[in-house]
Amino acid sequence: MSTKQSTYRHVVDSFKTALGVGENTIETSLAERVVFYVALGLTLLVTLFPFYYMTVASVLPESSLYSLPPTLIPQDITLDHYRTVFGPETFPFVTYFKNSFIIATTTAGASVLVATFGAYSFARLDYRGRGLMSRGVLMVYMFSGILLVVPMFQVIVWLGFVDSLASLFITYLVQTLPVSLYMLGNYFRSIPEEIEEAAIMDGYSRLEVIFKITLPLSAPAIVAVFFFTFMIAWNEYLFASIFLQSQSVFTLPIGIEALSSSFRQVWGQIMAASLLTSIPLIVMFTYLEKFMVEGLTFGAVEG
Amino acid sequence: MVTLTRSGDRTIEEKEALLGYALIAPALLLITAVILYPVLYNVYLSFTVVPLRPDEAPQWVGLEHYYSLFGSSAFWSALRTTIVFTFFSTTLATLGGLGTALLFNRSFRGRRYLRGMVLLPYVAPLISVAFVWRFMLDPLYGIVPYIGSDLLGLYAGNIDLLSNGDTAIWSVILIDAWRYFPFAFLMLIARVQAIPGDMYEAAKIDGASKFAQFKDITLPELKYILATVFLLRWIWNFNKFADIWLLTRRVDTLPIYAYKVAFANYQHGQAAAISMVLFLALIVFVLAYVAWALDW
Repeated sequence: MSTKQSTYRHVVDSFKTALGVGENTIETSLAERVVFYVALGLTLLVTLFPFYYMTVASVLPESSLYSLPPTLIPQDITLDHYRTVFGPETFPFVTYFKNSFIIATTTAGASVLVATFGAYSFARLDYRGRGLMSRGVLMVYMFSGILLVVPMFQVIVWLGFVDSLASLFITYLVQTLPVSLYMLGNYFRSIPEEIEEAAIMDGYSRLEVIFKITLPLSAPAIVAVFFFTFMIAWNEYLFASIFLQSQSVFTLPIGIEALSSSFRQVWGQIMAASLLTSIPLIVMFTYLEKFMVEGLTFGAVEG
Repeated sequence: MVTLTRSGDRTIEEKEALLGYALIAPALLLITAVILYPVLYNVYLSFTVVPLRPDEAPQWVGLEHYYSLFGSSAFWSALRTTIVFTFFSTTLATLGGLGTALLFNRSFRGRRYLRGMVLLPYVAPLISVAFVWRFMLDPLYGIVPYIGSDLLGLYAGNIDLLSNGDTAIWSVILIDAWRYFPFAFLMLIARVQAIPGDMYEAAKIDGASKFAQFKDITLPELKYILATVFLLRWIWNFNKFADIWLLTRRVDTLPIYAYKVAFANYQHGQAAAISMVLFLALIVFVLAYVAWALDW
């Protein structure tokens, strides 16, 4: 096959993949189609039902929330639970949300910044000890939070950082760094080296190459890494539960957990708070889905 | 060349190497200070009794924590729980992901959007997911007990599925598999779609059944990615803390056992020893698995 033909074929194939047509569109019988749609329906039901139920429960009045059979389609809708969540009387949800948002954005921003340079160093620059260092970073994948939590607690106490968001910032930054380094490193390696060499021939310095060529080309990967580190920081419970003591610095996981254990039958409020907590991640994911999926194939994210 | 004359007494290679060290230094320093040092410190702590007051030095007790650990039935039961939880949640999540990936491996209207929706359990915050399941499993008003016990009569309705010693672990396993099957799905779907369609065409002409096609084409093509997904999920589930802790206090895996010993009983040295055993058990498993998976 000539080069031209194979290029053509490659282009057609990638269009087919992008549009989701082409593979396995072999003729199917009616029975097969029925089985397929039933299986698809069940998968979606199992996957999505909890989210549907969370939404329904967050707008149900107390009377139908605590009665049998459970309400699946609400007759009366109330926003009382949301009012309670945003009112300061029961619990300071807005403060928790703000804390979580600050910690997640600063962690993700710092992680992307430090990891971009580190990953470039691993991917493109040649020096003694590079292989050992990059393998060592991957080893860190195996160190769980629980292995770090006792010594980190001692260190944080010694530093006097207990009960401050700074303790979480340092912990989360470092916990997300290996993932960020790995994902960005893999992405940088996928950029053709010739582009950078050509720029160096034209008199660009390495740093200019990074800022003017590599970074603009890597925007999708950087967005993906930002999202995943944001997600890790938004979700983290273990370290927050140990380092934080006063309500004013609580993040969402700790705050909502505290609400659930200090009151009885606050399911309406908890479901409203849970839904609101999900919104930033779901909004980001919806807008960035394409990058997310690409990003995940460049490196597995702990979860 | 311009660059050569400007570089003075250093060659380009040396300059590149220096830049390389400079760019990786911040990441490496942070990882060393906040991960490697604590891990080594944890080894030390596991041989000591840590006093409650932070200004007093830990007392060296040698292997005492390890001896008392191996002599305690709580530890062995936690190890067993960890293995049961990890094995079943990992297997279910991987199989669920595989099934969904095969299901999505054909064109249908809205596939792209539905793929995004399937990822929702994995993307949504843990705290929200944990609480909606706690609500759905609530023994008094939960929808799951209502369907399972009142409608279908599968079990006696007065059991709290998340607090009952026998059912809690299986509830947690199922919820964990539900939350993480999208991860396996996402890792597998790309590979499933990359299998050339003409392999199936040829098999069909030879009269191979659907099952034979799956066994002889799909599985061999997917085996390395399947092995990788299983390994990653195994590592993460083995260390899993928050997902279980937020659902129930009745499933004591090793991470939860360590957490309770450290922060409810304040025996930090003993907890450090538990986390060391957890880590070593994981390393042994990973090495054995990798050796097995390589010539698989």
